[in-house]
Amino acid sequence: MSSSMALRDLQRDLESKANDLAKIQKDIAKDHQLRKKYTIQLGENELVLKELDLLEEEANVYKLIGPVLVKQDLAEANANVRKRIEYISAELKRVDASIHDNEGQQNSKREAVRTSLSQII
Amino acid sequence: MAASSSARGELEKMGIDQLKALKEQADLEVNLLQDSLNNIRTANARLESAAGALNDLSLRPQGKKMLVPLTASLYVPGTLDEADKVLVDIGTGYFIEKTMEDGKDYCQRKINLLKSNYEQLFEVLAKKKSVADEAGMVLQGKVRQLQAATTS
Repeated sequence: MSSSMALRDLQRDLESKANDLAKIQKDIAKDHQLRKKYTIQLGENELVLKELDLLEEEANVYKLIGPVLVKQDLAEANANVRKRIEYISAELKRVDASIHDNEGQQNSKREAVRTSLSQII
Repeated sequence: MAASSSARGELEKMGIDQLKALKEQADLEVNLLQDSLNNIRTANARLESAAGALNDLSLRPQGKKMLVPLTASLYVPGTLDEADKVLVDIGTGYFIEKTMEDGKDYCQRKINLLKSNYEQLFEVLAKKKSVADEAGMVLQGKVRQLQAATTS
């Protein structure tokens, strides 16, 4: 009786550890999606900055805000794009750190699942 | 050739399950790369047609009668104003006014950039494809070996 109860406890433990592992893997997948999105945005903004840098001082810059094309100051547009690039780079670094942490946790959870499994078997 | 035979040695050492997983992974990556290559080709085609339209526009004299699209099915008669200035969409909602020359130059630059990206991706795809094919062949060989061992 006590051995079957102990077995059930071990199985429940294994299940909960496996669930933890699955959750971490889902988080890692979500972080990878986010990272992809940020990388694309960063690339696009850097392209825009390059084009803006090629412009001369008096050239006209317009920004599409909704259905309206608004004339912008070249310096202001430059500043805006630079700020966006800074923000996206910071977010990208944050996501990378999160992925790194989660991968470490994933490995330790995997080990925990393995030890749980070996206890049952 | 030396590189592929040492890679082959690695593949031979792996178990059937590992080989299958590796092949599936490589196939997935090949598909992703193919999709990216297709996207680049589409974008390039759009840029080329934009460059063609620009060239055409530069030939038209100012004041020429034209039809301006208001919606996909509604056109309004108008006259062509100065064809020397063009608005270029550079991304993230920004447009810059450029001369016809600069506009054509912009299109050409983007086309060149995409072409070089395409070539880089193509090389990566070729390498991944050869890995996937090698894995597939080694896998088939092993499966056949296993079948021969179990039946004899």
